[in-house]
Formats: sequence, C-alpha cells, structure tokens
Amino acid sequence: MPESLSQPDAAPSRHGEPLLQVNDLQVSFKTDDSRVRAVRGVSFDIYPGETVGLVGESGSGKSVTNLALMGLVPSPPGRVDGGSVMYDGKDLLKLSPLQMQSIRGRRIAMIFQDPMTALNPLMTVGQQLTEMTRLHLGLSRRQANEKAAEMLELVGISGASRRLRDYPHQFSGGMRQRVMIAMALSCEPDLLIADEPTTALDVTIQAQILDLLRELQERRGTSIILITHDLGVVAETCHRVLVMYAGKVVEKSDAGPLFASPQHPYTQGLLQSLPRFDQVQTTLRAIPGQPPDLGNLPEGCSFRSRCPLAIDRCAREEPPLASVGDRREAACWVAEENANG
Amino acid sequence: MDDTSTNTPLLSVRDLCVHFPFSRGSMLRPEHGVIRAVDGLSFQIAQGETLALVGESGCGKSTTARAIINLVHPTSGSVRLRGVEIAGLSDREMMPHRRVVQMVFQDPFASLNPRMTVGSIIGEPLAVHRLASGKDRKLEVLRLMDLVGLNPRFLNRYPHEFSGGQRQRIGIARALAVQPELILCDEPVSALDVSIQAQIVNLLMDLQQKLGLSYLFIAHDLSVVRHIATRVGVMYLGRLAEIGDAASVYAHPTHPYTEALLSAVPVPDPVLAATRQRIRLEGEVPTPDRQYVGCSFVDRCPIAVEKCRHDRPPHEPVAAGEPGHTAACWERT
Repeated sequence: MPESLSQPDAAPSRHGEPLLQVNDLQVSFKTDDSRVRAVRGVSFDIYPGETVGLVGESGSGKSVTNLALMGLVPSPPGRVDGGSVMYDGKDLLKLSPLQMQSIRGRRIAMIFQDPMTALNPLMTVGQQLTEMTRLHLGLSRRQANEKAAEMLELVGISGASRRLRDYPHQFSGGMRQRVMIAMALSCEPDLLIADEPTTALDVTIQAQILDLLRELQERRGTSIILITHDLGVVAETCHRVLVMYAGKVVEKSDAGPLFASPQHPYTQGLLQSLPRFDQVQTTLRAIPGQPPDLGNLPEGCSFRSRCPLAIDRCAREEPPLASVGDRREAACWVAEENANG
Repeated sequence: MDDTSTNTPLLSVRDLCVHFPFSRGSMLRPEHGVIRAVDGLSFQIAQGETLALVGESGCGKSTTARAIINLVHPTSGSVRLRGVEIAGLSDREMMPHRRVVQMVFQDPFASLNPRMTVGSIIGEPLAVHRLASGKDRKLEVLRLMDLVGLNPRFLNRYPHEFSGGQRQRIGIARALAVQPELILCDEPVSALDVSIQAQIVNLLMDLQQKLGLSYLFIAHDLSVVRHIATRVGVMYLGRLAEIGDAASVYAHPTHPYTEALLSAVPVPDPVLAATRQRIRLEGEVPTPDRQYVGCSFVDRCPIAVEKCRHDRPPHEPVAAGEPGHTAACWERT
C-alpha cells in the first residue's frame, strides 16, 4: 500500500537540558611508529527525542567518537586523550568500568552495522535478549522471557515466543538487525547509538528498519545518534546533522538547511558528488584527491588540498567551528567570512 | 576489422539458467534440492552501451556475470559473444574470448594479489595473452596507468600502499590491458567512499567514450545506476522483472517490484523525501531454494491475483514506456 513517507517532525524543542554533552573529545591510536589522532576535539549535544546524524567517510572518526561515548575504545592501542562526556551529571569518561557497565546497555544502547558478528552464534536469540534484562533490570527468568517475546513482537518478528529458541543463523539479515534493535531497546534506553544500522541491508529492508526506528522513537522518545555515510538516509531520518572530516566536526546544522545550502566546501562537495536517482546529470562533480592520512595531517585545514575555495589562511591556521547562520556552524575560513561579511 | 554485421549484438544472452544442486539434512535422511540462482534470463548488450542489472542480494545478478565468462558454468541457455556461442566452453577454449570480455570486481582489496607490484598486476594479462613482452610491456603498462589516472611513479608499489579508489583504478587498468570490448563490472563502486565513488564512475564513463567500451554494470545502488546506465534490467530471484531504457524504467516503473524498489531509495533531499510515496513491501526476499511455478514475486506483491501463483508471466511491452521496455507482470502489462 502506498503510504506517505513519515518524515522526522520539526526538530524537537531544544529548550530542555541536553541529554548528553560531548566536549572537546580527543581519541588517538598508537601505530608502529606514531600516534594517530582519530578524533581531534569533537563537541556536540544531544537533546531528548531527537535524531542526530553523524556523517563522514571511512576514517573520519565517526565510529570512534561513539565507541568513546560507550567506553569501548580498544585500549591499547586506543586511548581517550581528553574531553568530557556529560550524562546525567556525570562524566562518562571518568567512570570505572563497573559503573560504565550499569549505563551501557541500560541507559545508552548501541546497534552495529553487521548483526551477524554482533550476535553470539552459540546462544539462542532468547538467551541473548534475556541476558540484558536480567542483568540490568533484575527480572526473573520468566519475566525476562515474557519481555523478550514482547520486544521481538514490537520490532515485527512474527511467532515471537517460538523464535526465542532459534539461533542467529536461523534469521535473515534484516531479521537479525531487528533482533539487535529489540536487544538494544529492551532496557528502554534514553539514547540509542546506531552505527550504520542499514548499510548491510537491501533497500527495501532498509526502508523497513528506518521506519521501525522512527516509530519506536515516536512512541518512546528515545534519542538516536545515527552514524552513516549515506546522505539519503540522513535526509529521511535526521533532525540535525554533524559532518565529520579527518577527526573533526566540520559542519553542524539542522537537516533541512544543510541539504538546501551546505556551508562547508566538504559538505558541498559530498552533495554534488552524489548521483541523483531523481535527476540526470552529465558528469558527477567528484571531490578530487583522497581523504588525508590521519597520521600525517597537513598544517592548517585538513580539507585544504581538495578544496576549491582554499585561501592562503587555510594553509596556516586550522579553522575552528564558528557560527555561519541561525543554529549553523562550519569550520571554514571562507564560509565564516561569507556569513559574517 | 572483423566480420560482425552491424545488427549482431555484442552480447546476447538467451534463457540463461544457473542452478546449484544442494543437499542438506542428515546423512540418513538427506534432502536434495536446487537453488535457481539464474532462472531463464534473456538480454542483449549493443556496442557502446551500458546495461545495468539491479536487484537485491541473492537475486542472481553476480552469478549472471560469472556465468557469462564461464567462471561458473551455465546449466542451460545460450551466451553469444559477437554471434559466437561461448556458454559452457572449457577454460582453454574460453581463452581467446577473454580478450573480448573482461571483469572488474567489487572488492579492490581482495581482487588484487598482495604480493605483486602494480606493474606486474596490470602487465599479467599482456603476458598471459602474449600481447607484449619486455620493454613493450612496460610501456603499455605505463600507458594504461596514465589512462586510468594512476601516477606512473607507482609502477613498483604494492596494492596495500593504495586507497580503495586507487586500487579500483588498478583493477580497471588490468581489465583494459587486453583491449576488451565488453567489461563486466560487478559492484565496482559499492565498497568506496562517496567522494571517491564519483571519481570512479566518471572514469568508467570517460573510458567508455574514449574506447567505445560496453559495460554490464551490476549494482544495487539505484542512484549510481541511473547515472551510468543506458538500459536497466531489474532482477528478482533469478529472473528479470523488468528491462528497458534507463530513462523509461525510472520514469515508468511498471512491475510492482521495480516500483517498490525505486520508492525505497532514500534521496538526499528532505523536502523531496517528504512528498514521496513509499510502497512498503512486507516480508523479505525468500530463500532461492523455493520453487515458483508462477511469478516469483507473488509472496510479497501487493497486487497479486490467483493467476500469478500458477502461470509465469511473460515479458510484455510497457504501454507508457519507450520501445524495448518490457515487464513480466500479469496485472500491469
């Protein structure tokens, strides 16, 4: 049946307190001969009930940022070098592993790109679903089973109580991702971090999963951080967008204005390089060159060598995120000058 | 140059079937069946055009490409290259035809030998087909590197020193070495970042202009396909649901599966996204060991009728479409 595409409503009011505040987050990884700075001073807030898209190419630091929020940066070789992640009056980066465990999964949950490797192949789906709720919510085995069946039904898996006895390999890719979502939501978290949740799925299944996330958000008011490289997915699901490049946020904006008038030349380049399914272009305007080597970043702006607008100043000083309009920020000397005259 | 008459298509595939028999269950109670990966596929590719095969995982699009160059042997059907039957040829018999048709693979990390230098990877087809040796070979490799936008300084480097986009350029240069007429591209840009994807798409289109190449372009990204393809074939469970000129198929999707697939593609434009109608398909693609007497889309189709279960719909012209645009649906044609 044709149905109108449910769109993200106008951004939820941002009057209240932010749910999560990330300040100047820094993460690095040790390699054979140097230390690679994967996240170089990332700051953002997440408000209740909103979906924030985190966009960037491989190596931009979007996944590492979120591993840091969850206290999951593999160490060594990884290390959180600085910054803070304030949640519920506490800095998550300063919590002990045990304290973090009571938040991870319970208050902040995560779903990953590849549901096959994220699920334990030796445990039934039911065992994995009940493990969470018994640990975090202290449910009895029976209560946990009921809850698990309820969650599977919620994410649209039919014959839920029977399927609890099945192993992950008995589910298809789309169904496994539904199981992951059911697990992530079973403790009713405040924040769901979804790292490329539909990248491994076919488009018709992707549409089902994105609809599901939207419905669940409306029903429960969960905030979502959606990490993706697909700008189409962002346009259809996110209220706000952060664009990352070489370990930094280079543009921050509400979704509508970002797509209508991107401010950072990297965002502009990304949007122009996309083939459009609804229109015909003669040649794609590719961004020239390659993403920079994080272990060997140039001085000044790291996008400079690929940037059509670069000026002398870009070679000397790295631009900070600065206001370029109503609730919009970009890290670009040229954009800042254009905006502020 | 050759005796091909102008109306013989470069590639002609007729009733191609690739079936994989399987057994499962215990040794005492085995269950035998057949996976019909490709189940009666027919299409043609003319000189200089790009036919894209689209569809979701498991629809048989990659198997089709592999069957064309006999990497898997077709169960039945015909594959004619410039009018010459090549289906089921042995590797040795296939050799001369591999100079006409080459392949570019999806994963630029797995499809290049990590122990060979760029120069020897690109030069290998020249050696295998005895096209050039010694200094000539080196000059030819340098010409190919230049053609695909690789710096000739990289001649003696190894694949791991390159990014995904550059590795895909190496794969393309290797395919071009024998001066083929047709290149089968199996998801050539889907492993690449967005900004690099556009570079490779542009390169493929430039090369087509310069060298008069034809492509069979296998992809699941319908936006990329819209951009690169002259014609599009939409596959579902080993069969073609719809085929026609790209502009016609995108403007008048006629098979309910094509319609649903196109409506599910996210567009990077929130304003447009808000006004689009999405057709939501229930359920998922069934496993390919299911046998369908009638239409293979019947279980998920929003407009299926009883006839669809029993009779397989033939390809019929689409009334609103351009000539050559056909769909296999009882209700819509």
